[in-house]
Amino acid sequence: MDTLLSGQLLFAALVSGSLYALVALGLNLVYGTLRLLNIAHGDLVMIGAYTAFGAFSLFHLPPVISVFLAAAVCAGLGWAVYEGLFRRLLANPTLAKRVEANSLILFYGISVILQNVVAMTFTASSRGYQYLDTVITWGGVSMTGNRLLTLIVASAVCFGTLLFLRHTLFGWSLRAVIERREAAQVVGVNLNRVQLITICAGFAAAGVAGTLVSMTEQITPFMGFPFTIVAFVVIIVGGLGNIGAGVLAGFCLGLVETYGIALTSPGYRSILIYGLFVAVLLIRPEGVFSKAVRS
Amino acid sequence: MKGLILGLVCVAGAAAVPMLGNPYYTGVIFQLAMWIALAQSWSMLSATTGYLSLGHAVFYGIGAYVCVLLTGSVPFAVTLIAGALAAGIFAAAIGLPVLRVRGPYFVILTYGLSELVRHVVMRIESALGSFGRMIFIVPPIEVLMWCMLGLATLACLGAWAIRHSTFGAGLSAIREDEVAAETVGVPVTRLKLLAFVASAIIPGAVGGLALLRTSYFEPGQAFDPVISFTIVTMALVGGTETVRGPILGAVALTLLSELLWSNLPQLYMVVLGSTLIGFILFVPRGVSGLVDQIAGRR
Repeated sequence: MDTLLSGQLLFAALVSGSLYALVALGLNLVYGTLRLLNIAHGDLVMIGAYTAFGAFSLFHLPPVISVFLAAAVCAGLGWAVYEGLFRRLLANPTLAKRVEANSLILFYGISVILQNVVAMTFTASSRGYQYLDTVITWGGVSMTGNRLLTLIVASAVCFGTLLFLRHTLFGWSLRAVIERREAAQVVGVNLNRVQLITICAGFAAAGVAGTLVSMTEQITPFMGFPFTIVAFVVIIVGGLGNIGAGVLAGFCLGLVETYGIALTSPGYRSILIYGLFVAVLLIRPEGVFSKAVRS
Repeated sequence: MKGLILGLVCVAGAAAVPMLGNPYYTGVIFQLAMWIALAQSWSMLSATTGYLSLGHAVFYGIGAYVCVLLTGSVPFAVTLIAGALAAGIFAAAIGLPVLRVRGPYFVILTYGLSELVRHVVMRIESALGSFGRMIFIVPPIEVLMWCMLGLATLACLGAWAIRHSTFGAGLSAIREDEVAAETVGVPVTRLKLLAFVASAIIPGAVGGLALLRTSYFEPGQAFDPVISFTIVTMALVGGTETVRGPILGAVALTLLSELLWSNLPQLYMVVLGSTLIGFILFVPRGVSGLVDQIAGRR
């Protein structure tokens, strides 16, 4: 019981929660504005992680600098994917009719390509580097510097994005596109521009998350898929396209997961995540935290 | 009719392959028949109704699991039938709540369910102290190949029969507009459930046969989500509008994997991904549609 009440466990839960919220934020933005199921999202986390790893081992760039590089690389991929693939998909009426199925398959193709191109470049073995791994004790809670940095950066990006969506003109138009796509166009929102910027931003968020992951964990070309799943669990719980609820759900998942494992054993982690995922989809597919039912 | 004769000739030719005396070719035919059976079964639900299942590995895995549990105590044909039945019963049990969920939610739900079952089985197996089960006495590869060929034929005939029946017409109505179909009196819930069960049975038997081929069971492999993705890829590359689509897709990708997989697995995956993207964007009706187009132009 003592371990359950310790600040140590709460800190661990918040670190993973903030990371989940950040990974899911990108996925949710892309789903909300483009209605595309990006199952390659975790692979963008992987690309971000490898960018940070490459920058650290080749040029000795610390992650606090390479995080911008990782974000830029992923945003560039977002631009390429949108201009190269989805403009074509959304413009063709026969393809757009089955946009969900088609986007799923397209992203599966992208995912497979990204994983294997990285595996061919860096080999499939796991990589890692040391950065800020000294232990700090603060208020009875011991933590490594890189985990604290993960919590700070991930939370800052999440809440910064929420503030941006609430208080800027672009944020308003983005939310308008999520809520009423046609109506947004009628009142003069440039749909194409919003979609392009959102996909770049969503991918960049994954790149930032990848940089954070690379500081604390070993990375491999095939590390992305679990992140995709976690992100899907989070945005399903929060409600697809519901950005604020998604961030909240990310932190909740971190708490549920960490305390769930503390109460049972790490062997139940996947069952817990998938069980939650299936249960939410069966019982409340519109999301636990969403107020209105979307048609 | 021409298609049926061509199909029968192909099946007869494939059945005679063991006479070449090279077990490699028999193995290739086994793989071809396996993917045709899986892709065709998938199309019974997903191509007809538009409910895209991304979790067909669960039926394959259940079949394999039931088969490995029963092997040794009953003849091998019985283990396969039990595998098929178990997969069908599982589909019937989860069908009603699962098929209420539509569109993108259905896609990720089937995927999540398959992964959930995978992790539960992994947990059960490790609780039993088992880290992979070996099977020591398996039927010869020719027998397994003939069985698989039989399953592939059955799947193709089944898919054909569904598409040319009122049942199939009802399923198409669900794909086009489910609410309208329900309004005009199509029993959508019952039809969807039947299609779901139909598309689960053969993959159960296929899983059992594939297990006997490798003679090794490991839940992580038997429920591998790559199986689900491969099935969807094959069906979409082949084209989902006709019965021959999934066959063509399965043949094309199995041969591609035979050529590249053993030497350059990573390059194979890159080629697979690029093929998929190319087909979605430029050949949305699949190889089958491409064949029609070329034939029509002449």
